[in-house]
Amino acid sequence: MNASAISIPHGQHGHSDGHSGGHDDGHGHHGPVLQYQPGLPLTRGKLIMWLFLSTEIMFFAALLGSYVVLRFGAAVWPKPHHVHLSEPIGAFNTFVLICSSVTIVLALEFARANRAGIAKFWMLLTLLLGMLFLGVKGYEYQAKFAHGIYPQAPRGRIYEKPDLYYGSAVRARLGEPAIIDKLKELDDTPADQLSAEQVAARARLQQVRKMVASPEQQAFDLAVVADQVMPLPTEGPGGSHDGGHGGHASGLNDIFPWLRLPAVIPGGNMWASTYFLLTGFHAIHVLVGLIIFTILLFYKLGPKQAGKIENAGLYWHFVDLVWIFLFPLLYLF
Amino acid sequence: MSDHDTQSAHAHGPITRVGDIPAHDDHGHAGHDKHDEHGGHAGHGGIGKYLLVFVALCGLTTMSFLTYSPYWPWRNEPHVGWAFMMAVSCTKAMLVVLFFMHVFWEANWKYVLTIPAAMMAIFLALMLVPDIGLRNRMVSQERAQHMARGSDVRLMEQAGEAKVLEESAH
Repeated sequence: MNASAISIPHGQHGHSDGHSGGHDDGHGHHGPVLQYQPGLPLTRGKLIMWLFLSTEIMFFAALLGSYVVLRFGAAVWPKPHHVHLSEPIGAFNTFVLICSSVTIVLALEFARANRAGIAKFWMLLTLLLGMLFLGVKGYEYQAKFAHGIYPQAPRGRIYEKPDLYYGSAVRARLGEPAIIDKLKELDDTPADQLSAEQVAARARLQQVRKMVASPEQQAFDLAVVADQVMPLPTEGPGGSHDGGHGGHASGLNDIFPWLRLPAVIPGGNMWASTYFLLTGFHAIHVLVGLIIFTILLFYKLGPKQAGKIENAGLYWHFVDLVWIFLFPLLYLF
Repeated sequence: MSDHDTQSAHAHGPITRVGDIPAHDDHGHAGHDKHDEHGGHAGHGGIGKYLLVFVALCGLTTMSFLTYSPYWPWRNEPHVGWAFMMAVSCTKAMLVVLFFMHVFWEANWKYVLTIPAAMMAIFLALMLVPDIGLRNRMVSQERAQHMARGSDVRLMEQAGEAKVLEESAH
């Protein structure tokens, strides 16, 4: 622990409750040489880090447990492709975090071996890998936002099922003045100024507009509308892969990004809540780790700082640990 | 726990259980000479060992990714894949905790801190089951009408396959 951590002979510390002492040492009237016995054989900082980590275990266990319970109790849960999750990106991020776990461990090893320069290199690499992880995560979040998947209603455009409420939401969106203007502009655009895909999509959009306004609307029509706006890919992996997003490029929202029509993902709202909560809290932890690494980079990373590096490493490994469970639960289940 | 108020109390490294040192020597990869590397935290670590763990972690990640690939044989039985992935994840977690977090070499205090926390974690999840996990066992008729169900997914898939608009557009 520190200089006061002097070891005492065997058998004596078992009853070190204050009153003992004077009778079994040979120091006469100077009184006993009180010897300090730490409660646990580890440094104070490390003890506190482990106590903190044990609270973190419960924190993330609560989040992960809620996710599992919510997911398996749900009547329907979206497949990863329904919500534009890309498994290879998730696997890449897993790889990045594993690499960063190794680099921080190497930083600690070299700091202990008094090779501060190399330790700093590994620490810097850990920082960069952490940043890469956050960058990829940000890219993934962006893909969700672009498809209207937000955890909450004002921005989120996800409906649970293609029912009347969905139909009226599509109608309401198509009736917004800005969209009416845009639609008129699109209708008036000569076909030779549009790509073949856009021309076909324009024809489908006109059908959709008729369908949602039609008084003879059937339940199946709304499913067709939902499918046109943002289709649910039926294929599993290895099937239709348009840019890794399971064939979504053909949805009206993708072809006309300004359209931003409400879309249907059964179970999508609960999915979004849990996904953003879990990955968001994890990302906050990553961010805190990056701040710690940045601070550590200002030190000379020799044996004197090994305790600090070890504690930072413990924290970082825990962050890695959480992702080890998040990746399969979110991307592969 | 306190039966080793050890020679290394001054060191910052984790305190090693003396009796355990030979136990982790049996991997057959003892090419690196870890015992001489750092006298201070006798015997654990060694860069070779960390790299070995790293390779194992990468291999395990690839294995769980395999469930996503077209080569996964139990495509129609998702539970097999889930069980497999959880087994892989637990193995990875054990590797990280034991070696990267040095728990393998720590004294017995590790059990004091980790086991109660792990038990609390399990209880937390279990306590959610009756109210949250089984929330859809009995629902009001109104809610049943408005909640998403598997039939909605099938309906949308049918709509996609029907290609109603492509035909009528021409």
